[in-house]
Formats: sequence, C-alpha cells, structure tokens
Amino acid sequence: MPLLKFTFSIFVAAWFFVSVSATSYAGSLLQDLENGLMCKCDDKCGKVLVNCTCSTSDKTRAKFSKMLDSGLTVEQIIKSQVDEYGETVLSAPTKFGFNLTAWVMPFIALVAGGVGVRKVIYSWVDKKDKIVAQNEPEEKTATSEKYSKRLQDELDGIEL
Amino acid sequence: MNDIGEFSLLIALATAIYGCVAYIMAARGNRIDLYLSADKTPLIVWGCVMISSICLWRAFLTNDFSLQYVWAYSNIELDTFYKFASFWGGQKGSLLFWTLLLTTYTVVVHIQNRKKNLRVVPYAMAVLLIIIIFFLCLVNFSTNPFERIPLPPEDGRGLNPLLQNYWMVIHPPTLYLGYVGFTVPFAFAVAALISKNLDDGWIRLTRKWTLISWFFLCMGNLFGASWAYVELGWGGYWAWDPVENAAFMPLLIATAFLHSVMIQEKKDMMKVWNMSLILLTFVMTIFGTFITRSGLIQSVHTFDEATLGYYFLAFLFVILFSCTALIVSRLPLLKSENQLDSFLSRESGFLFNNLLLLGIAFATFWGTIFPIISEAVRGIKITVGPPFYNQVNVPIGLALLALVGVGPVIAWRRATLSNLKKNFLRPLAVAFITAVALFPVIPLGSRVENYTYITFILCAFVMTCILGEFYKGTASRMGLHEESIFGALSTVTWRNKRRYGGYIVHIGIVLIFAGIAGSQAYGTHVEKHLKPGEKFEIRGYSITYEKLVAIEATSVKTRVIAQLDVKRNGNHYWTARPEKEFYKGQNQPVSEVDVLSTWREDLYMILADFRDDESATIKVYVNPMVSWMWTGGWVIAFGTMISMWPDRLEQRRRLERFRREESLFPSPAQE
Repeated sequence: MPLLKFTFSIFVAAWFFVSVSATSYAGSLLQDLENGLMCKCDDKCGKVLVNCTCSTSDKTRAKFSKMLDSGLTVEQIIKSQVDEYGETVLSAPTKFGFNLTAWVMPFIALVAGGVGVRKVIYSWVDKKDKIVAQNEPEEKTATSEKYSKRLQDELDGIEL
Repeated sequence: MNDIGEFSLLIALATAIYGCVAYIMAARGNRIDLYLSADKTPLIVWGCVMISSICLWRAFLTNDFSLQYVWAYSNIELDTFYKFASFWGGQKGSLLFWTLLLTTYTVVVHIQNRKKNLRVVPYAMAVLLIIIIFFLCLVNFSTNPFERIPLPPEDGRGLNPLLQNYWMVIHPPTLYLGYVGFTVPFAFAVAALISKNLDDGWIRLTRKWTLISWFFLCMGNLFGASWAYVELGWGGYWAWDPVENAAFMPLLIATAFLHSVMIQEKKDMMKVWNMSLILLTFVMTIFGTFITRSGLIQSVHTFDEATLGYYFLAFLFVILFSCTALIVSRLPLLKSENQLDSFLSRESGFLFNNLLLLGIAFATFWGTIFPIISEAVRGIKITVGPPFYNQVNVPIGLALLALVGVGPVIAWRRATLSNLKKNFLRPLAVAFITAVALFPVIPLGSRVENYTYITFILCAFVMTCILGEFYKGTASRMGLHEESIFGALSTVTWRNKRRYGGYIVHIGIVLIFAGIAGSQAYGTHVEKHLKPGEKFEIRGYSITYEKLVAIEATSVKTRVIAQLDVKRNGNHYWTARPEKEFYKGQNQPVSEVDVLSTWREDLYMILADFRDDESATIKVYVNPMVSWMWTGGWVIAFGTMISMWPDRLEQRRRLERFRREESLFPSPAQE
C-alpha cells in the first residue's frame, strides 16, 4: 500500500509539472515557430531559430512569415518541417511515446529524491529521540520540565 | 624555441610520472628520502609546462606559421591582444592552457602544504600529478600544439571572428580556473579516502579552494552569458547549449557541496554524501570537457577537431569506478552518527537545498544526454533545446529561490512555532505586499509572465529574510556597543565573514533571478527595413536611421556601421552604432551589437542586413533588467571575497590543530 501511494504520488507530481509546463509561449505565431524549431543551416549551428542570426535563419523566418500569411497554422508548419527534416528540427522533444521520458524523468527523480530525503531526516530525528529517551531520567519533575522549556525558548532566541 | 617547448612537455611528463610514483611510495613505505625527492617535482613540472606555454605564446606573437596550431588560429593582421588569447582558441592550446593552470594550482597547493598534513598531502599530490599526467599525455601524443607544417605558409588562417571579442581574453580563463580548481578538493578528498583521514580536515584544508573554484566557475558562466549577449546578436544570453550546460552542472553540484559541508563541519554528519558530491563535481568538469572535445553532442562551442572524446570518456570511467570503489571500501570509516533534532531545522533546509540543486543538475544532464539516448533506443536523433530546460528547470529553480530565503532564517537544530513566527512574519508580509502591489501593474497570463510574478514575490521574500539578518546583527551590536549603524554593520560582517559573505552571495543570486525573470517576460523586439531618414518607435524610444558607413578596418576586416539616433521624450538620448564585420575568407559576417544598458532596461541594436542603396534592416530589442544579472555577478564576487578573506580566529584554530597533529605524527624531517 505505501508503495502504491508512493508510485501514485510520483506520477501525479510528474503529470502536474508536465501539464503545467505544457502551455505554449506567449508572443506572436512567428515567435512560437522560432522557439519551436531549430535552424537548419549548412553550418549546423545547433541553435534554436529564435537565437540564430545566420542568413539561412533569416530566409527561414521570411519563409515562415509567408506560410503564416497564406493561412497555415503553426502546427501545420511544424509538421511540414518535421516531415522535411525529421524530429531533430524540433527544439524540444515531443510529449508522447518514448520522448515523454525526457520530460517526466527529472520530476520522478526529484520526487523520489524528496521522499528519500524526508525518510532520511525522519530516521535521523528518530535516532536522536531514542538517544535522548535513553539518557533521560525516568521521572520528569515539574521543575526539570520548566527549565527544559526555558532552555529551549532561550536556545530559540540564540543566533549561531 | 618550438623544439624547447615540445621537449619541455616531454620532460614535464617524465617528471610528473616520477613524482607521482615517488609520492605514493613515500607515503606507503614511510620513505623520507623519496618524499624529499618527490617534493621537487611539482615545481619542475610547472616550470616545464610554463616554458612550453611561453614558447607557444612566442610563436603566436611572432607569427610563426610553421606551427600548425598557430597557422590555424592566428594571422599577421590579428591584434596582439587576440594573438595572446589565441593560445586557448583551439583544442591543442586549450589543453596546454588547462595543464598550465593545473600545474600552477598544484604548485600553490604544494607550497601551502609541503610542511604540514603529511598524512594526506603526499596522496593529494599524487592524485594531482595523475591528472596532470593524463593531460600531459594528451598534449604530448595526441594534440601536440607544436606540430609542424613542412612548408610554412606566409600567413595564417586567422582566429574565428566570433572569438575576436575582449571576452575571449576573460571568459575561457575564468571558466578554466573554475573547472581546474575543483581538481584540488577532489585530490584532497581522494587522499583522505586513501589515507583514511576521514574527519573534516580535508574539507577545512580545501574550503578556500572550493570557494575560489566555485567563484571562478560562477563568474565564468556569467562572463560567457555576457559574451553571448554582446557577440551573438540574438538579444539573449543563455541558450542551454550542451557546453553551457556542462559548465552549469558542476556549478550546481559544487553549490550543493558548499552547503552540505557546513553540516559536516558543525555536526560531523553526511561524510559519504559530501565525499560523493565533490567527486561528482570533478567528474562533471571532466564530462564538460568530454562534451566539448568529443563532437558527440552538437554544440556551437565544440572545437573544430573534436576527436578526444574516447580519451576523456575512458578517463571519466576510470575516475568514476575507482572513486566509487574507494568510497565503498571506506564506508565503515565514513559512517557518522547522523542525528537530527527536528524535521524543521536548518539542517533539513540544507538537505532540501541539496535535493533541488541536484534536481536541476540532473534535469540539465538528462536533457544534455537525451539526444544520445534517443538515438540509441529509437535510432532517431532529436534536439533538446531551451523550451525543455525552461519548462523543467524553472519550477525547480523557483523552489530553490524560496529556500535561499528560508535557509538563513530557520533555526539550527530545531525550529519552533514561536521562532518560525518571529523570523518569517516580516518576510511573508513583504512577499504578500509585493504580490498585491505587483498584481495590477504587471501583465499576467502566459506561463513566462506567471513565473516572473512568482519570482518577484520570492525575490522580495528572500531579500527581506537576508536584510533582516543584517538588521538583527547590526541592531544588537548597536545596542551593546553604541556603535554607528555603518560601524556596527561592518563589524558584524567582518567578525562573521563566512556567514555574512554567504548572505551577500545570496543577494547576488536574488538579483540574477530577478534579472532573468524580468528580461524573459517583458522583453520586446522589432525588426524594420529602413532607408536613411526613416524612423520607428519602440517602448517610448523614437529611433531614426541616419546613415550607413563602410570602413576598411584592416586588410582582412571591413566594418559596415549603421548610425541611428535614439530620442526619448523628444530629446536626444543616444547615438547607436551597430555594425557588421566582414572577414576575408569567412562566409558569414559577424554582428557587433550596440547596447545601451541601464538599471531599467537595455536598448539592444543589431544591424541585421543592408543593401547597396544604403537601406538597412535594423533589429531592436528592449530587454528589461538585464543589468541586474551582471550586477548580481559583482555582488556574488564581493560576497565571495568577504567569505574567503583570511580569518585570524580561524587561522589560530587551524594552527593549534596542526600543532596537535604534528606532535602526534612526526614530520619526515623529525623522523
């Protein structure tokens, strides 16, 4: 049951982050295209179109502007580019199939790490509590409790 | 001279091998004669590498094109400034430069420690020498910068125009100083593992080295961003390029290490974790080098002749395997009494800070290598670019920013409801006021805008937390000693350099976050094709294109400059001169942008294109708050300097400890 809860929480968290992040960029349609596609110049510059200043990128932008003016949607233009160059023209992996692992894995690792850290901290706190319990006198007097509280309050106020 | 340079590298290699063997044998066999002999080798190795470097610099400055490397990265017309920097412009020279820095660091470590810590230092020196040997093998046998051309040409090919920028002299050395610097704490960590001296001695010995390396890596990243901003001409500063990622990952892991060692120092906990973090940091520096020099991952930074991937990969695996084996074999000794008083404590905060830093590092690593994984699994090469990193890393980064505020304010050991209330009430109130004040003012709706809104709120929260700490310290000092506010503030900071220096670094981080958020969300740009005299407007700036001027700067470089008059509120504000530079033999011209930077925003001009009729295409970006990032960098530099400043109290404590150690373990001279 705890394992089920753990797995469920990981997937919920991963889904949440991916779906929250899935909304597209603000800005013009051309900007969406520029952010979504890589420059495919002969120099293989490896830059996202929006970041590229080479002559090929200028031509590509002009081509996209014309395509948008002709009534094609961003999705249609992206599809045409993928058909021409393959998935490598996309500036980020798609969010389905094997590529989904790219998006989900960091959050799975983070949530798993978070659960691990939480467990570790609790185990260390338990260890300390046990040691304190072993060293404590069997009966707590009202006076000792009073001083313990005062000590704790004063410790709270101290900046180390 | 070239023969001397080449020969010096061979001598350096032979000496390094001897030194390494002698150090190990001296430490294992308690041989004082070998130790004294090995003791001279770091200086000889450094001397040889320095001679070799001087020879290469001389070849650049005297246009000695008989060297293939000089021919490939220089020419007669190149400014002396860039001839000097061409040394690290290509793979061969950059590896020699790396070796030079590494041997220089090794000599400094040697001078600092030769008469103390004799249980650890010989092993640390041996580890440093092993790494030097690896690099010397590369520069001697694989990428020798002294390789000759049988018939020397009259002129060289020249340095890549994109590299002909003043940042070329600053950014690579800074980054290398950071990369190479982490070799020192790594060497001491391995030495501590081998010699079984696993208290926090190695951490104290290398604390300053770690801080210096962290500082250089941090500044190297910022300088790189600044270079990209002014040179690449796309209005941005960070593109999540694999090589940028490679410099970013060790920075994140080292930051995690810098925080978690505090727990080891205070509570003698997390020894395995800290050991793993510093090893991972070093591994990531080698991974970064592997990416740049393997050609395996497409990047704008990859060296032309990126053929060394397999050497670095092999080296990477050797380090990973041997260090893991070493840690596993020392696990019983690394075991510490891990105890915490409460879940709500600063210690827990540090653990979560580590988790988030490593989370971002992992996401970045995953994104960097995912194209290789995809190709291996599906046979399809894909690209993982900025949209991926922005979507994955930004939410984690925001959680980290929140922790930057929580960390310094939450109590060590145990936070109670009363002190949580006391410490967080004001910061939360300020955050709430910021949220309310900003809500009607700034645009919201898109993902970037929403994240920016959250970032500003968190920045206000964190700044209040940090400034509150300064206020508390200063106020209590003023009350006790009747000092002026500035006197009390400086005394408080000076007496707790490490703590308050750290807070100042955090202020720098807040400024960087604010700068990134502002520039990403509220930037705008426009592209216009204009004839002389035509004008356009953007964000209250009225820009008139005046003229186009062509200048033959040198026999290989022609500059085409567009002059634009910028008016604001009807008054002359600035004359912008963006330009394009054409280099003989280069296909693509280089854009030289013109930027007017203020606290509020940058006005960023690019000459995108021009025609014979003097008409020009001008691209103008208005990038808000970019200067906040660079200011954040200087604040980080200031904070790090305060943190690293020698502390007499700390020195006295260390001296006493060394005395105790030396009386327990006689030095070789005494033996």
